[in-house]
Amino acid sequence: MSAETLSALSLSVRVAVLATLANALVGIPLAYVLARRRFRGRALVDLLVTLPLVLPPTVTGYYLIVLLGRRGWLGAPLYAATGWSIVFTWYAAVVAATIMALPLLVRTARAAIDSVDRDLEKAAYTLGRSEWRTALEVTLPLARNGILAGLVLAFARALGEFGATLMLAGNIPGRTATVPLAIYTAVQTGEEHAALFLVAILTALSCVVLVVANRLGARAA
Amino acid sequence: MSARLEVRLLKHLAGFTLDVEWTADGGVAALFGPSGAGKTLTLQCMAGLLRPDAGRIVVDGRVLFDAAARVDVPPQGRRVGYVFQGYALFPHLTVADNVGFGLRGRPAAERARRVTEVIGRLGLRGFERRYPGELSGGQRQRVALGRALAIDPALLLLDEPLSALDAPLRRTLRDELRGVLSEWGTAAVVVTHDFPEAYRLGDRIVVYEAGRVVQSAPRAELLWQPASESVARIMGIPNVLHGTVIKAVPDRIQLRWRGQTLEAVNSPTHSYLPPPEAPIAFFVRPEYVRLIRKDRVVADLRHHMNLMRGEIVADEDFGTTCTLRIRLDEPGAPAQGTYDLEVEVPHLVYEILEIERDRRWEFSIHRGSIHVLPA
Repeated sequence: MSAETLSALSLSVRVAVLATLANALVGIPLAYVLARRRFRGRALVDLLVTLPLVLPPTVTGYYLIVLLGRRGWLGAPLYAATGWSIVFTWYAAVVAATIMALPLLVRTARAAIDSVDRDLEKAAYTLGRSEWRTALEVTLPLARNGILAGLVLAFARALGEFGATLMLAGNIPGRTATVPLAIYTAVQTGEEHAALFLVAILTALSCVVLVVANRLGARAA
Repeated sequence: MSARLEVRLLKHLAGFTLDVEWTADGGVAALFGPSGAGKTLTLQCMAGLLRPDAGRIVVDGRVLFDAAARVDVPPQGRRVGYVFQGYALFPHLTVADNVGFGLRGRPAAERARRVTEVIGRLGLRGFERRYPGELSGGQRQRVALGRALAIDPALLLLDEPLSALDAPLRRTLRDELRGVLSEWGTAAVVVTHDFPEAYRLGDRIVVYEAGRVVQSAPRAELLWQPASESVARIMGIPNVLHGTVIKAVPDRIQLRWRGQTLEAVNSPTHSYLPPPEAPIAFFVRPEYVRLIRKDRVVADLRHHMNLMRGEIVADEDFGTTCTLRIRLDEPGAPAQGTYDLEVEVPHLVYEILEIERDRRWEFSIHRGSIHVLPA
């Protein structure tokens, strides 16, 4: 195995794990709020979160550059202050994977939270629990399998992300080239063995992920 | 224990307005009425799960909500136990954890003692480690009651507590529930659309219709003196009839109905004095109509007042009782479609009098069994 293949593998796992963690931190509260609260702008938030699911990944990547690039809305002040930009670093791969995976987690988790009987939450309120404690002790535990299934799907999506990552992080071997990008490079340069090896690993991982997600989904239903 | 309960609520929802006011002196108040009348909405407002647009809720001198004074105690601080329709037990927690759910924040030892006590009093010993999914309907009801009672609530709210059960179990659990309520002595409000249930459980019955209270009275008073024809219909009373006043005095009302002159008792406490020729509604309880045996000598008129003659046009066998539909020997359309009166007789009487074969009868209604409904 070449150093580049190895680095692609370890980078991909690191990116997917961090993106999944970021998804859990952002996506679960977001799913809860979308399922349980009525507030102004809710439809807009819902739309923005879901958009990466239907947009071509390169378009999502483009928006991320507009937002985070050296001259982007958030990127420019950051660059002015620190001289650092996220673009073309492996952090950018994490951000791209997180945004691309988010709709999968949010939609799955939201459906699971929606299916929790609201009377259970009301019962908890009358028994002295705050909304926050009720979410932690009643709603989220009961939606657990759906949320886990969403996280597994998010992990798989993060692992396979290509288009948005290419736009924001580039394809720098050893630094930002994740497995899907390494496969692309390998095919372009005729390294068929390396390509086949990585393709087999991604396929196997995807199969495992689907089986796990289906099991969790079946238990959640 | 006499927890005085004061409820005044106004709540506008899309296509529905709840506008009710009633009070109760401790004991059990049953909110009775058809589905969609606003009963559950009232409970949710009392528990603080829904905010009324206006009104006031006082439990035992403690103001839980007062729109004018801007008081709105959150559900967490109301100390109001709520037994949900379908019970809403936490499926991921054991019986003991469900019962102890509201005791968080108390010292562990005290909490354990209270859980043991409640479980013992409700006959759930041995089920502490089970999950709600492993319990029967009756056991679930007791866990739901235990969970709500464990916090020693100032008021217990029960939303259709028996509707999740099938008929035979329903009756047993109704009695069991009544036992628990009187034993714990907690003031309670029970929502039901079943009149026998309201009557069995409630000391006071508050009748709801389309977002309003049409009558609130001690249960016996409601049974014998529905305030109006609409209350009588909501209660499902058969034989609600319309006649014309002949004469009304404080203790008697004479009226004309289907060619008959009927005499009814006017309530001495709530006497109703409509002018002659005014239309009047009244009802006759089917089980109080007496068939006159043909083997007896001429009917004693003092005993058999309001004497009528007619033919049985239909009967229905309910096992222990039979319902007869009688059409009077009078020209003109019968009062209730194909018949004038519904009469209920025990099955034994049906057999002894050979009603199946013999369809023409004389019958009488005591004046005390004709109940006038004020307009």
